[in-house]
Amino acid sequence: MPKKNILLFVLLVIISFVLMTFQSRKGHLPINNLLHNLLNNTHKATKSLSDSVTRPFERMALNEEDNIKLQKRIDDLLMEREKYQEALIENKRLKELLRLRESSSSYITSAKVIARGVDYWTNTLIIDKGLKDGVEKDMSAITPKGLAGKVISVSDSYSQLLLISDINFSVTVRVQETRKEGVISGTGTRKCVLKYIPYEEEIKTGDIVITSGLDSLFPPGIQVGYVSKVDNKGAGGHFQYIEVVPFQDDKKIEEVIIVR
Amino acid sequence: MKYLYWSLIIFLSFFLQGRISVLGISPDLTALLAYYAGIKYRETKGLLLGAVIGALEDSISLSILGPNMLSKGIIGFSSSVFITGGFFRWTPLLGIIFISLLTLIDKSVVFLSRSLFDNMPATFSTALFVSLMQALLNAPAGLFIRPKHAE
Repeated sequence: MPKKNILLFVLLVIISFVLMTFQSRKGHLPINNLLHNLLNNTHKATKSLSDSVTRPFERMALNEEDNIKLQKRIDDLLMEREKYQEALIENKRLKELLRLRESSSSYITSAKVIARGVDYWTNTLIIDKGLKDGVEKDMSAITPKGLAGKVISVSDSYSQLLLISDINFSVTVRVQETRKEGVISGTGTRKCVLKYIPYEEEIKTGDIVITSGLDSLFPPGIQVGYVSKVDNKGAGGHFQYIEVVPFQDDKKIEEVIIVR
Repeated sequence: MKYLYWSLIIFLSFFLQGRISVLGISPDLTALLAYYAGIKYRETKGLLLGAVIGALEDSISLSILGPNMLSKGIIGFSSSVFITGGFFRWTPLLGIIFISLLTLIDKSVVFLSRSLFDNMPATFSTALFVSLMQALLNAPAGLFIRPKHAE
């Protein structure tokens, strides 16, 4: 193998390490959002395209509703109705979202999820609202079921959400019944961990956990999840080891509401 | 024309990575691209193209610049050295094994670099699961990405 190639390889290793060391000391380098925006625009365009292809069929199916009413006596009515299930579910979801929007005083905007983040390691989502719609970094994302995550980066028309299940996500919470405060952190899986609850506190499986608002990031009173496992036999060091399952499964998020 | 082709193919791989997933894990298409670049263009160009692909991936992942640049550079370089360079004689099985191995190396380099220089991006068990799944998802591509001289 030519020496030139080995030198080039060593150079790449050195440059990478210098870059990473520099950024670990001085913070991330400012990166041009051009490619990011282009990628998000393409995601949005393909989502609109797929929606526009499927929508006429959904509408056609909905127009047949009258005919279906006339054929109530036909035995396979239930099978026909299954076609509408998706639209009904969507309708119900949007109604819940609307109700949440009306009840939330710190409402900023509602947004659709257009893609998952490019990075495999982190649990992130891309939504179709950004600075132009009033979204800012560190705002909270909620759904009718509960807390979904927070905004970690914003461009003009898009934002990226860090989901509650990510290991770099934390939120101060309160156990609804006992009012005890703690911190919930993501674990990279469906379950989160409720930290800093001393052994004296009695926490039961099924207890509901809500945001406390003490971190000044998340509004208080948003439902987060329920306690699924409590280990008070010393596995968690000085505190109890408590697992919490978020109400909102991050694999099923389609729309969110951004609140301050 | 060649630059346009590569720009398009890199963009497409980023795009598809955000859309395709199996059990919530996307195949590592950029690692496949770096592997392809190494096999097609030999060491120098493979390494440079791999590093560029990695740098772009770093820039859109909102993390530090460097981990993917290093790992994809390694893939571009080593695929060329070991497969095209005559170190091994390419066979479909070797292609599958090598691409899985390189994907695992890629993931390990990114995970370690990020954990050392930035935040730990995932728990160890999640990282292991993601890496193994991606190595598995990438493996079939080893059958199709082959050097010119392969029969």
